[in-house]
Amino acid sequence: MNDRGTRLLGAALVVLLGVWGGLKFHSYRAAHQAIAVPAGQSSAPGPQDSLLPESLIARTAIPSLLPQFALPDLQGKFTPVSTWAGKSLMINFWATWCPPCLREIPLLKALAADWAGRDLTVVGIAVDDRDKVKAFVVRFKIDYPILIGDQDALELAAKFGMDSPAFPFTVFTDRRGEVVALFIGELHRAQADFILSEVQNLNTERVQLPEARKRIAEGLKQQADKEPS
Amino acid sequence: MLRNQVLVLLALTLVGTAAAQAKPWWLRGVDSNETDFLPPDAAFRMAARIDGSQVKVRWVIADGYYLYKQKIEVKPASPDLQVFEPQLPAGVMRTDPYLGTQEIYLQQVEASVPYTRIDAGAHPIEIQVTYQGCAEAGLCYQPITKAIFPNAGPLASEAQVTVNPWEGLAIVGGAIAFLLAGVVLRKGRKLALPS
Repeated sequence: MNDRGTRLLGAALVVLLGVWGGLKFHSYRAAHQAIAVPAGQSSAPGPQDSLLPESLIARTAIPSLLPQFALPDLQGKFTPVSTWAGKSLMINFWATWCPPCLREIPLLKALAADWAGRDLTVVGIAVDDRDKVKAFVVRFKIDYPILIGDQDALELAAKFGMDSPAFPFTVFTDRRGEVVALFIGELHRAQADFILSEVQNLNTERVQLPEARKRIAEGLKQQADKEPS
Repeated sequence: MLRNQVLVLLALTLVGTAAAQAKPWWLRGVDSNETDFLPPDAAFRMAARIDGSQVKVRWVIADGYYLYKQKIEVKPASPDLQVFEPQLPAGVMRTDPYLGTQEIYLQQVEASVPYTRIDAGAHPIEIQVTYQGCAEAGLCYQPITKAIFPNAGPLASEAQVTVNPWEGLAIVGGAIAFLLAGVVLRKGRKLALPS
């Protein structure tokens, strides 16, 4: 009886060890495969994509309100985004190694100048090395505020759903800090003007946020269809 | 496996309808607005295989996307592995008004990376690959760094996108079979031996 009991206990232990080992091995393999060949490999991410818990967590919706954050400016002084509270914002994420980001800078300067003294502020967030950013700010004579970040800026980008970061992208907010649009890729004048006109509609309370977002989405799509790249 | 499924179910329950709306950024500019840009792993599909004394790292680059030659880096990720400078073919010269002339790859590129192993194969070869590229339409991806176990065949790692759901069960089944075999053997021995 005692011998039988020991055998049963041993058997149970072996089974448990097997199950534990199996799970361990499985999660190890899953993790390593996820690194080598992550989901979304196919050009159109399939529905099985959404079965991965980590991607589910990463895919937060675009926040409806601008998250509060602070990043150092060119002099290293931490600047909270609340500095521009009450203004509509164009927050442009960029990097010095990114050609479309650099192509956008003249447009951003022009917009900053056009809207100077009104309720729009252009803010650049450079996800890059401070010295490189400083050199480009001088070279391009950037006169709108620039903040600099690395991991902290990437974490901020992730809050806008940009968890696999790509640049440039631009966040548009209205004067209440509502996130009106997230524009991914190089911005052109017509697109910027169109989004900013909707921001103005929000500021003057002619439309509500969901409607403005919808109109922007449709309007940008129409623009894209008109001039295929 | 089971634990993963439970997690997924939990997450789905918690997130509820929000999960249905939440899309990766490459499918969504403004909540309902979709961008045409590909996710990084679809724009640049990377795979590696071992070819004698070299690791071949190959990228298949989507139409309208390119990789920078200068940004390609390969480092060892497993112990006792030494890798040398990747040998890369000549690329296309692209002149940017701001960044000057740079060598880029379109469509596809293969890097040959010579390696040596100090441990005569005690550890599986694992390398860490860094690369960076852009879409012609105006988007540049943050440099991508991935650890990868090069497979024996060409693009072999692509074949393993899905994890076999029977894997966990097979391991558990194996453990039970092992146990049963032990029980049977022991029983047999008991019968054969004089008591």
